[in-house]
Amino acid sequence: MSERTVSILKEVGNPNKARIIAHLTKHKGENAEDLGKHLGYPLPTVYKYLRELEVARVVRSEVKDKTRLYYPSDFKLEVSPRRLMEIFEEQSILNLYKNRFGDEGMTRLSEVAEKVNAGKMTYRQAASTLGITYYEFVSLLDETGAIQ
Amino acid sequence: MSKKLVVDSSILIVLSRRGALEQYLKQKKHEGYEILIPRAVARELIDEPRRLAVKIAGKSPALASRITQSIEAISRAIENDLVRVVTVYFRKYSRIMDNVRKQLSQLEAKPEHAVKKGDPELIVLIIQLYDKFNERIFVSTDDKGLLRALKSFSSRVDYEILES
Repeated sequence: MSERTVSILKEVGNPNKARIIAHLTKHKGENAEDLGKHLGYPLPTVYKYLRELEVARVVRSEVKDKTRLYYPSDFKLEVSPRRLMEIFEEQSILNLYKNRFGDEGMTRLSEVAEKVNAGKMTYRQAASTLGITYYEFVSLLDETGAIQ
Repeated sequence: MSKKLVVDSSILIVLSRRGALEQYLKQKKHEGYEILIPRAVARELIDEPRRLAVKIAGKSPALASRITQSIEAISRAIENDLVRVVTVYFRKYSRIMDNVRKQLSQLEAKPEHAVKKGDPELIVLIIQLYDKFNERIFVSTDDKGLLRALKSFSSRVDYEILES
């Protein structure tokens, strides 16, 4: 559940995306074009936001008469210092990696992530360089927010 | 005929971890794509994480269970034909495979034998599909290094990067 909480926080932390959720709550089943018109966002931006909101499962869609319509998904967010502490202390691939490789490993991870970001290394080469599986490396990128 | 979309493991792993894999695959199918992965990619999506889950199950049962759930989502997608595993014809494409390995080894200045299997298989599959269907092949990956290596074959294959 922690990753879901983090991804919801990330999405609603963007005021433009939060406005989309608010608008869809009042106007359920609107399409992307109408959303763009009502909120004044360019259509490519609306599509990008909707895709990200769907991945975070705070918005869902369905196709009716060849048109994709969007609806808000139900969610409830409880945020407190204690809850944040619980979320980040929960078991994760990042904590597993930290326990295994320590501070030195974290430095190496950040160096390798930089190369990956610059396209100087593939994810598989990065995983092999760090001595972890491809699954672990991709999970690390996901947990550190390096993958959208 | 459906459009061919080669998806890299990173996309499938991230979506399965977030519980959004099935929805993504169904949406792509609805948009007219057939999703394909090479055999080496299928192995790293299932076999490697399964071994990891078993290894950490004693100390981190919750994390092991989350990894298992993610593997199951991917396995289900393959069983339900939402993702099709394709065999790469190594013999026919051995020269291209060597070239791909060369390109990849140049990225990190590593010997060719150290290049992990998934990268060359993915690139060769894109070329193989293009040769077979003679139409634009769609590719989905966040891996900039892989895309850089693929770019060096852009005169050989017509492909388009699809935003995930």
